[in-house]
Amino acid sequence: MLSVDDVAHYLHQLPGSSIFLRYVRSSYQNDPWRSLLELLLFLFALRVWLSKRTRGDSEKGFIRLSEGEIDELIDDWQPEPLVPTNQPHKPPPTILGPPSIKPRVLLPQQPIERAKQVTNLVSYNFLGLLGDQRIKDAATNALRVYGVGSCGPPGFYGNMDAHIALEKSIAQTLGAESAIIYSQGFATIVSVIPTFAKRGDIIVADEGCSFAIRKGLQISRSTVRWYKHNDMNSLEAVLDGVNREAKRRKSPLTRRFICSEGIFQNDGTLANLKRMCELKRKYKYRLILDESYSFGVVGSTGRGLTELFDVPARDVDILVGSMANTLGGAGGFCAGESVVVEHQRINSAAFIFSASLPPIMAVSANKTLSILNSSSGPSLVQALQSNIATFRSALTGLDSLQCASHPLAPIQHVFFTPSKEYQVMNMSSAVENTDEEKIESIWEDIAEDALSNGVFVTVARHLRGQEGDIGALSAGPNMRVPPGGATPPSEPRPSIKVAISAALSKKETEKAALTLKNSVNRVLKRRS
Amino acid sequence: MPSLSTTSADNLPDARSYLQNKLEVPTKSQLSHDEYGICNNDDFRFISSHNTNEDSTIAEVEDPSYYILISTYVSFVLLIVIGHMRDFFGKRMFNKHYKHLMPNNGYAALLSDFDSFYTRRLKLRIDDCFSRPTTGVPGRTILTLDRDSDDYNNTYFYSGSNTRCLNVSSYNYLGFAQARGGCADAVEDCISRYGISAGGPRLEGGTLDLHHHAEKLVAKFLGTQDAMLISMGFATNSTTIPALVNKGCLVISDELNHSSIRFGVRLSGASVRQYKHNDMKDLENLLRETISQGQPRTHRPWKKILLIVEGLYSMEGTLVNLPAIMEMKNKYKFYLYIDEAHSIGAIGPHGRGVCDYFGINPRLIDILMGTVTKSFGAAGGYIAGDQDLVNRIRQRSHGMTYAESMSPPVLTQIISSLASITGVKEFVEGGEHISEDTHPGPVTHNTLPHWMTLPRDLLDGTEGKDRLRRLAFNARYLSSALRKMGFIMSGSRDSPIVPLFIFNPAKLPLFSRTMMDRLTPGAASIVVVVVAYPATPLTSGRVRFCLSSSHTKGDIDELLRACDEVGDLLSLKLSRREPKWTVDECIDRAVELVQSEYA
Repeated sequence: MLSVDDVAHYLHQLPGSSIFLRYVRSSYQNDPWRSLLELLLFLFALRVWLSKRTRGDSEKGFIRLSEGEIDELIDDWQPEPLVPTNQPHKPPPTILGPPSIKPRVLLPQQPIERAKQVTNLVSYNFLGLLGDQRIKDAATNALRVYGVGSCGPPGFYGNMDAHIALEKSIAQTLGAESAIIYSQGFATIVSVIPTFAKRGDIIVADEGCSFAIRKGLQISRSTVRWYKHNDMNSLEAVLDGVNREAKRRKSPLTRRFICSEGIFQNDGTLANLKRMCELKRKYKYRLILDESYSFGVVGSTGRGLTELFDVPARDVDILVGSMANTLGGAGGFCAGESVVVEHQRINSAAFIFSASLPPIMAVSANKTLSILNSSSGPSLVQALQSNIATFRSALTGLDSLQCASHPLAPIQHVFFTPSKEYQVMNMSSAVENTDEEKIESIWEDIAEDALSNGVFVTVARHLRGQEGDIGALSAGPNMRVPPGGATPPSEPRPSIKVAISAALSKKETEKAALTLKNSVNRVLKRRS
Repeated sequence: MPSLSTTSADNLPDARSYLQNKLEVPTKSQLSHDEYGICNNDDFRFISSHNTNEDSTIAEVEDPSYYILISTYVSFVLLIVIGHMRDFFGKRMFNKHYKHLMPNNGYAALLSDFDSFYTRRLKLRIDDCFSRPTTGVPGRTILTLDRDSDDYNNTYFYSGSNTRCLNVSSYNYLGFAQARGGCADAVEDCISRYGISAGGPRLEGGTLDLHHHAEKLVAKFLGTQDAMLISMGFATNSTTIPALVNKGCLVISDELNHSSIRFGVRLSGASVRQYKHNDMKDLENLLRETISQGQPRTHRPWKKILLIVEGLYSMEGTLVNLPAIMEMKNKYKFYLYIDEAHSIGAIGPHGRGVCDYFGINPRLIDILMGTVTKSFGAAGGYIAGDQDLVNRIRQRSHGMTYAESMSPPVLTQIISSLASITGVKEFVEGGEHISEDTHPGPVTHNTLPHWMTLPRDLLDGTEGKDRLRRLAFNARYLSSALRKMGFIMSGSRDSPIVPLFIFNPAKLPLFSRTMMDRLTPGAASIVVVVVAYPATPLTSGRVRFCLSSSHTKGDIDELLRACDEVGDLLSLKLSRREPKWTVDECIDRAVELVQSEYA
């Protein structure tokens, strides 16, 4: 047993103990209660420090169970199957060989001899440059210099001169200060939005935005307010409402963004950039614009919406686009001020954690861009625009159809008119599905019929059930619809998505449109 | 200088003499067989497989002395204090440089001070060690563009000259990053036939016959019923996970899982819990707790539990403890998702990832995910599993519905490189007796597109086999030798990712720069990847070597000498394990080192 003396002896041997003892002694003589309080405080601190800080026991609602009970619960637990078994699965048709203007197409589960040569209204061959020999040559040369893969993210030696060159020419083409290349078009905006917009920031978005934007908004965890599709008055009302509310609540100044597409993926309408820029300046918002479908096809030399509306690209704070659509390659880009671009190089998840774009794709996208920028560029855009006009005029005259897309959009969506949609829903044999899926099944029949008559079109594909899921902050029952604004977006309307190409002749385009028209008539007749 | 892709290099005397003459250092001019090194010595081969006497899944790292830990903390505190001081004065005195960080004219700051502090005040100081621009093939060697900065790395100017460096940084495990050789020839053929784009998303007409060929081959390679390809590796995870789980499901995730997995889980809306890296005890406790407690608040049972692990962790070099997980899987009925981004092609006797390495039937794993960016020199990722799963994901994955489909040249690279590892039945010796269902076995000739012609040594699988064995040797040699020399390392000795701990933040740039501009005059430059906080824990800054089968034994020797040089200079040989070997001892006894069970 240690006696008190022994303890005192050991205590004296510790360096600095005399100071401690002197302090305790004098404070005790002044005020014994104070010493007691100090001791209690010390013990309390020790207890807090030693207590478990992990989740679990301390969490509210945690039920303490014995090991035996846990084992029993584990034995009882039956998880749902990972995926539903034996679901009907309908694979898409396959193109044999290159996705040219007249490819051979094979339906699933058919022998290869049944492949048919058809007119291609599916591939994003807007300028007709897919398979262009100049681009093939550039790609082959690049292959012999770089190989195929870049084998690393940009931060770890995957940042090649080919990428730097493409970034420069995209920025130059647009007239932006700087640009950055991502390795997939879809992933670009999904990653760009959360790089800038964080929890607490405000985004005012068009209710017709594409799936990629919706996912970007969801992951940013920002507060999202929606305005009516392409309705600038609604946008103004929402911006005004948000600003007034912020003022009333005296909330701190947060980042505020307007988010829209140039040409909307889901219906092919075109945003009013001019008005949007005026509004963003008036209400002090920053603009995120997705030009995936408009870059390279609208404007007199194909520089996109900024050229069409004669708005300098520098006015668009964050301009996102894709090289997979018009530039006929792969990947996406984001252009803006240097600050905007450089921030992404170290903070945008899809950029830093992904291997860079294969250099051959960067080189060929650059080649396409230089063709577009050359003297032959405007004529390509011209040819595309006239084909779009031909297609649209050939399709008019059917009361059941609605060409809602903008006359400049390279993707043209064909919808049923709302009244027809209602009628069509009852024709569908599908039983348990949603309204959209019922209409979609009719469109699928039409697409199949068109294919058998020599025109390859596709139903616009949507992930039904996931489109409307945009996260707790922007949806949910507690979400307030801003005055003049829109409710959180729901499922897009079913449609046929037609990709027009400059490579088709006027006659071919006309014929394809007529074939599609006949298919619509045939299928509707058969079904009713 | 010519570059070769095959192992028959008798016409390249200089390449062989570089090995045989035991030069002290290969000089810059001698890095000539630049894409794929020539190494004909059969002793420098090894087969990567799990050895039960060796614990290859252990995740613990030897702790350095307290002096190192404390000095690391002090360095960071110093960096942060100075950074804040510069911000404080800068904002008041030079506010035009801080415009984007401050509210301006009614706009909130574009970037928050806090978010960008690390980038501006810590990373910028050593920015010359990151994102070095390169050109050409990221093979055994790589050309970096020389650059310099006169405004503290804010902007760079390029002199226009290049430096050829030994490349131990690219994810080029099997050395398929090549601009010459059978695979590249096939890709060229493909470009002239198909062009470079597939035209649109997979479900909207972007499906080419090549996609079917490649997917069949991937499934055959992995031993699963079916597989699908997505055009970007990051997106493979982030777009597939939402197709599998949703609200009411639980995702259990290793704490060191890749950002793309977290991205996908966040999109899915499922609950998520993490366990300590590779700690099976912690995982089991977590499983017991979550299954018995059910969903938070309501205590309803989970709809399903998905365990997501990586095969090989890219920052640690650790392998997942798959045997232990498989045992738990039976008991706890969770679904298993393995991300084989770094392990596919890189480990296992047949290069087929962690299942192959541990000898586990791949059909027992619910979801096998991986990338083709790394080992196969292409770009993108795959998801493989049974028919129902793949069909379901084909319909429900964001990547199939909205993202551009994989482009033809990339598909060709996948087909040709994979076929050269599996071998094609009609060309493999004794192949006629192998049933088509055998796993791992060769593919049949009709799996390849009819127009594809590959050289004989790719078709009969000898080339692929050789690549796997060279990679296994290189990985084990470097990792074992560095351990013997007294560096603190982490991860499995079979991992082609070899992290070496540096700890102090100031030593990181010094390491990188000294490897680039070597102390020995005329010695070959080496490009390395240094990683620090926030990619790693604060105190464990490290350098990460990624080996490749394109490296020769001579290259590894050279790397060891360089590490030895820098290690002494920066006092990095901090391990307390004995006995230590000198670098020459390691180089002379390389084969013994690789074959020994202990390092």
